[in-house]
Amino acid sequence: MKELIKVYMHEVSIIQELLDIVQNTAIENNLTKIDKIHLKIGELSGVLEDSLRFAYDCISNDTLANGSELFIETVEATGRCNRCNITFKIEHFNKLCPQCSKFCDSILSGYELSIYSIKGE
Amino acid sequence: VREIKVITNLLKANEEVSINNKQIFDEKGVYVVNLMSSPGSGKTSILEKVINYLKDEMKIAVIEGDIYTIKDAERINNLGIPVVQINTEGACHLDADMIKRASEELDLDNINILFIENVGNLVCPAEFEIGEDIKISVLSTTEGSDKPSKYPLMFERSKAVILNKIDLINYTNFNKEEFYKDVRALNEKIYMFETSCTKSEGIEELCSFIKDEMKKKTLI
Repeated sequence: MKELIKVYMHEVSIIQELLDIVQNTAIENNLTKIDKIHLKIGELSGVLEDSLRFAYDCISNDTLANGSELFIETVEATGRCNRCNITFKIEHFNKLCPQCSKFCDSILSGYELSIYSIKGE
Repeated sequence: VREIKVITNLLKANEEVSINNKQIFDEKGVYVVNLMSSPGSGKTSILEKVINYLKDEMKIAVIEGDIYTIKDAERINNLGIPVVQINTEGACHLDADMIKRASEELDLDNINILFIENVGNLVCPAEFEIGEDIKISVLSTTEGSDKPSKYPLMFERSKAVILNKIDLINYTNFNKEEFYKDVRALNEKIYMFETSCTKSEGIEELCSFIKDEMKKKTLI
């Protein structure tokens, strides 16, 4: 029987990934200061804005993103019914087509956890 | 001031490792099950039963995720099954990189099915792909039938849900109708099983499902 050990915290790891991407993008584009980071977070992603902001405030200090604005855009959850050929709003507990009441064929949005753009100079 | 479009998934690093894990498992012909639930719902007990049922038909291995102890891995080890323990030391879930390193400790050429027992937690494990073929979630009757509505993501992403400790249901206020209704609303195509590990009930049905899913994969 073998044992492996690793230390890892959830919200912090998401923000760490964000800061890595921001830092690399800044270097590639010759930015020396980041003003704003634009995130797109799906409303059903299960990620809490407050937790993200807290982690961001805690670990962005030593990076180019220090003092920048974290702009979080919430993305509405939508699904699609192929039979009725329509797109509609869904929730965790309601993914039924409003016209034919069939379970949606595909989920189009609402689970995003992504960085959209960064602004800087 | 310039705006640079990045458009990158924040779980990209995990996703990439997860895809890589999946590729390796596929090449080696290993079917991978990610077993998730809250602490104490019976994941390890179900695994023990399933292993005993399947071990003459196929080669099984287990990766055990736990915050601190090796207690679960010892139980699996006692069954004579290869097992690797991951201790996350505080972390709430397993991620793809942990699975990558743990699977390097296993002889994948000699494994047909790998069960990964995630850290006991109804929230975070659901967000992290680890290279599995299917996710199975477990809920026990003593936890209450309101859990799918409180922790939807895990049930939404699971291929099957196991309602465990079914022998105790009459001692609880668990409402099966509400439970099934909520789970179906979250995930219409989910498979459902009822088990009791102390009475050895429902294990055969669960194992047939797992075998069917393994067959479906090899047919693709």
